[in-house]
Amino acid sequence: MTMTTILIAEDEPLMRERLLEMLAEAWPEARVVLVAENGNDAWDGFLAQEPDVVFLDIRMPGLSGLEVAERIGGRAHVVFVTAYDQYAVDAFDKGAVDYLLKPVQADRLDKAVARLRDKLDGGQGKGRAPDDLGDLLQHLKSALPGMRQERTKWLKASVGRQIRLIDVDEVLFFQSDTKYTRVVLRDSEALVRMPLKDLLSGLDRDRFWQIHRGTVVNAGAIAAAERIDAERLQVILRDCDEKLPVSRTFAHLFRD
Amino acid sequence: MWRKMANWHRGWEDEFFGVFEQPARAAVAQSGYRRCIARKIAALSPIERHQLYDFSKAHRGWRGYWLLARLLLVFSLGGVLLHVLHPRTGLFASIFTGNMIGLALIIAGFTAWFNYRKLVDQRWKLMRRTFMAGIGSALLVGVVKVWIQDIPTQQVLDELPRFLGLVLGVGLLMLLPQLAVGMLRYRQYEMLTEQLQAEFERERLARELSESQLRLLRAQIEPHFLFNTLGAVQQLAQHGAPRAAVLTANLIAFLRSSMSDMRSEQVSLATEFGLVESYLKVMQVRMGERLRCTLALPSALEAVQVPSMILLTLAENAIKHGIEPSLRGGEVALSARVEDGMLRIRVEDSGVGMSATPGAGTGLDNVRHRLQLTFGAAAGLALQEGDPGLIADITIPYSVPMSA
Repeated sequence: MTMTTILIAEDEPLMRERLLEMLAEAWPEARVVLVAENGNDAWDGFLAQEPDVVFLDIRMPGLSGLEVAERIGGRAHVVFVTAYDQYAVDAFDKGAVDYLLKPVQADRLDKAVARLRDKLDGGQGKGRAPDDLGDLLQHLKSALPGMRQERTKWLKASVGRQIRLIDVDEVLFFQSDTKYTRVVLRDSEALVRMPLKDLLSGLDRDRFWQIHRGTVVNAGAIAAAERIDAERLQVILRDCDEKLPVSRTFAHLFRD
Repeated sequence: MWRKMANWHRGWEDEFFGVFEQPARAAVAQSGYRRCIARKIAALSPIERHQLYDFSKAHRGWRGYWLLARLLLVFSLGGVLLHVLHPRTGLFASIFTGNMIGLALIIAGFTAWFNYRKLVDQRWKLMRRTFMAGIGSALLVGVVKVWIQDIPTQQVLDELPRFLGLVLGVGLLMLLPQLAVGMLRYRQYEMLTEQLQAEFERERLARELSESQLRLLRAQIEPHFLFNTLGAVQQLAQHGAPRAAVLTANLIAFLRSSMSDMRSEQVSLATEFGLVESYLKVMQVRMGERLRCTLALPSALEAVQVPSMILLTLAENAIKHGIEPSLRGGEVALSARVEDGMLRIRVEDSGVGMSATPGAGTGLDNVRHRLQLTFGAAAGLALQEGDPGLIADITIPYSVPMSA
């Protein structure tokens, strides 16, 4: 059996350290593959590592823990780590979501780990699929204070000596280019000095679909998706000749 | 017959008191003069209604009639006195006149008591009218005497000044007490209003203060602050890190000074800077390299008094809405200086700035309000976009103290 992989997202260094140490003790056979300091890194790291279990702080810079969980959908077991008070946490209880209250105490972590182990191999060597928390997360996002995400309306791109203002709605797709992001419009393109993972948190998720770790496409610009072979898909755009590959993680967007 | 009268009287009285207790009942009072009176009562201000109610209650039933009888007796005695002083008027005429004047004065006084605002506002108009009416009636009587009673014109003209004097005298006799009562009531009312205003202001100040105390208390026991800080202490202590002791010391300093700050309405700038410093130090241990901070308070300004907790509110906002949501973290800087007779205290952060701060702004409203309550309209709080981040400027009128 492969080793269980874990991702931790927590913005405070001491809390990060603490959770790491406690996990090493409570779950020695699992391996922490990534420690993220904010929501954007957490989501990007999830796509890169595809861990089995994710420990998410709720209040983080960039994407909140709830938003990261929403993006992960049912692809990993999520445990929230929160300092919200009991009143707010009641909502988690009702939704049967795993959560830990900060500061995390050993006995509570042990319980959570036991539950995760149970979910992962179900006692019969067969793992249970993680729950998709979609509806509950939507509800929590509106119920918890300070969880509303600001939307980006304008992008600033330097073209030569000028700074161009780009209306986000006119973008056909974004493509990651290490520390920059390539922004492709109908008749031109530009480079924005911001990594794609950070741009992503300001985009409307219903309108801009992530189809690959390095690609986000305006759903309105998609003409079709075509199969390359049994496994792979690519997106054909309406006003652009470029074809964009869809990674396996996001293939479900185009399944009928 | 007697019982019927008594029943009618009781019914009327009940209705009357019913309206006092619930002015809305005026609408269901019996029609005619009774409803008219009920409406008048309902239209009084609550204070006036209360006074009238107390009066009516004290003189309810036979007590009212007893009072009336005593008054009539006094007026009749006045009439007898008039007869003694001025025997030309008959005894009964004198008693009648005394009662008439007395009752008129009572009614006038009563109306003046409840219509004092109108009375005081229109006192010159009333004087003029009384004067005109006096002259008018004197002339009218003169004309009647000449034309109808055939009294020689010369005689009427001779009597006219005396008659005029009499009429005007009676008029003024009626009007002046009314005005006196009116003025008295007016002054009383103004004093009452002033008193209420002062009470209201005091209450509002107390409320403002307790609101900010409550906010601070909430900030301290806010799960995010306290639990995360305790978690950090626990983590550091587990490894025996000396930083654990430092963090605990800062947390203690923050809790202690905020609790004593909370009890006073004003504190020195040095105290407030100290409070903010302990808060920022706690946050710095927790946030690590993501938070940097500088505090600069010129020693000349240390003793300046400011409303307590306002700087802490701004510093908390800077962390919560500026640095914490920022991917890169940033710096919080506090400074104070005097410029153009104004003390400017600046809380500046290089966080995510105004657009990403969807807070309700109650903390800022509270700061603004308390500044203005303490220093008047010249004091204020202004926010502006930094590059990046947010700059909050507190402005307070300030006169440089003479050096001793």
